[in-house]
Amino acid sequence: MAEISLTDVALGDDRQKVLRRFTLADVLFHRSTQAAAILVLVILGGVMMSLVVGSMPAIRAFGFGFLTTESWNPVTEKFGALAPIYGTIVTSLIAMLIAVPLGIGIAIFLTELCPPMFRRPIGIAIELLAGIPSIIYGIWGFFVFAPFLQQTLQPWLINATKHIPVLSSLFAGPPYGIGILTASLILAIMVLPFITSITRDVFETVPPVLKEAAYGVGCTTWEVVKNVVLPYTRIGVVGGIMLGLGRALGETMAVTFVIGNAHRISESLLQPGTTISATIANEFTEAIGDVYTSSLIALGLILFIITFIVLACARLMLLRLEKMSGG
Amino acid sequence: MTEQLVAETADTTAAQPSIGSTVNRVTNRREKVSIRNMRFYYGEHEALKTVNLPLYENTVTAFIGPSGCGKSTLLRVLNRIYELYPNQRAEGEVLLDGKNILDPRQDLNLLRAQIGMVFQKPTPFPMTIFDNVAFGIKLYEKLPKSELEDRVVSALKRAGLWSEVKDKLNASGLSLSGGQQQRLCIARGVAVKPEVILLDEPCSALDPISTGKIEELIGELKSEYTIIIVTHNMQQAARVSEFTTFMYLGSVIEFDTTEKVFTNPSQQKTQDYITGRFG
Repeated sequence: MAEISLTDVALGDDRQKVLRRFTLADVLFHRSTQAAAILVLVILGGVMMSLVVGSMPAIRAFGFGFLTTESWNPVTEKFGALAPIYGTIVTSLIAMLIAVPLGIGIAIFLTELCPPMFRRPIGIAIELLAGIPSIIYGIWGFFVFAPFLQQTLQPWLINATKHIPVLSSLFAGPPYGIGILTASLILAIMVLPFITSITRDVFETVPPVLKEAAYGVGCTTWEVVKNVVLPYTRIGVVGGIMLGLGRALGETMAVTFVIGNAHRISESLLQPGTTISATIANEFTEAIGDVYTSSLIALGLILFIITFIVLACARLMLLRLEKMSGG
Repeated sequence: MTEQLVAETADTTAAQPSIGSTVNRVTNRREKVSIRNMRFYYGEHEALKTVNLPLYENTVTAFIGPSGCGKSTLLRVLNRIYELYPNQRAEGEVLLDGKNILDPRQDLNLLRAQIGMVFQKPTPFPMTIFDNVAFGIKLYEKLPKSELEDRVVSALKRAGLWSEVKDKLNASGLSLSGGQQQRLCIARGVAVKPEVILLDEPCSALDPISTGKIEELIGELKSEYTIIIVTHNMQQAARVSEFTTFMYLGSVIEFDTTEKVFTNPSQQKTQDYITGRFG
């Protein structure tokens, strides 16, 4: 029986032709997806190579001191990356400090508490917030938000913390409007929709029956979120936070508008500063001479490495979490 | 055929559901839960039509009936878990020890501590085996560590899971087999010390051996709790329960002792269902 059917297939010329065509299509499909995957590696390698090669003159001129020097002087061609590195990390961290609890809070409200009729409008509003181009955040930040802060939040902060030891230097005057804190706040607004929509999406993947079980032993909504929803979705939540952090680290336009672009590290968050990407965007056109250009490229390489470290830390954190829950 | 069925149901629902003639003779148990003129709606759709039902203390009551007859819905009314979803509402009264739990002032967390629930699919929380059981206890009581451990161990023992997990209490609850997960969920429910346990097809996702273990467990638990089990499996209902409720199209058709329902039902519809003529 089996033999007969086999020979039947072998004899069917048409069928063989069709099969061969299928095989060919499959091979093509396989190769094209493979090529796409390899292309990513090639691009990544190319970017890294050109960053390293481009920053060689700066590395040769300043060595490791490039990372630890604060001064940035185009006239004497002495460059150090400490101020932009500091600005990048501090603005991003403050932005995450504000945006993460806020974003997760919004996501919890939307998935667990919000009456169904408001769910869609609020969700759409958040996605629209994500769609606003960063240049718009920049001009809004410069012309509206910074003057507003200058007249309200900043004087209040300066007064309120006047006699508190650490905080008083953290919020030392005068209120410029622009500065590290303003840039952080703008960044927080910008990354908020990313964190919110990703965490909302992963919260929605929690099986309803699991939540029912938690409510079924008598949990309040807060207890369900804390003990079931967040542990169940922690990988997705950390992913969303990291995406937001990645965006905050690299954000250029809006930050350039409101940070003040001063190459110095001040104790006060109200003073102007700069970030890596803001420095590059500001100075690329006026960079004359190998060392100046190369220093800017070296800044780019540093940003690349910072982002890489952030991703690695995220991985480590996830592994830790897995271990802790006994998974 | 369908028309005939519908016509017959109309007849049986018109008559008062038969609240077992034999029940009073057999039981001198107290009514733990009394469902009185309870109707349930999904939006406009009336899913349960005027249900009246007693549930006796320290007994097992089975809800049987074809899919969509409302037996799970009825179960979900008893701890008001349906309230998690909009547009679902219950009218009438459900009395737990004489107190109406459908009262809007009823504290839901307290209610759900009194009336525990185990679902069709095992629902271990994403945490360790120990924490899964300790979870419910910690919600209500601040216990010293040693006492908490005692409670967890005794709950696991009562759920018949202790010998299988005693060496890996710190492993994830998700690492257990389906049957073990289900017993873990029962242990979690028992640990809170509820008065009533609702079981929603607890064995439908399990193999026969795990099913046997859980049925055995149900038999042991009823000395302390009032147990209500929804099941598709009529043999299971016959094996584990003292009372059986047959439901059809949102109505209770017959409630009586399990023996009576399975050997000599008073309603034709029940007879048809248990002999496999439909459903």
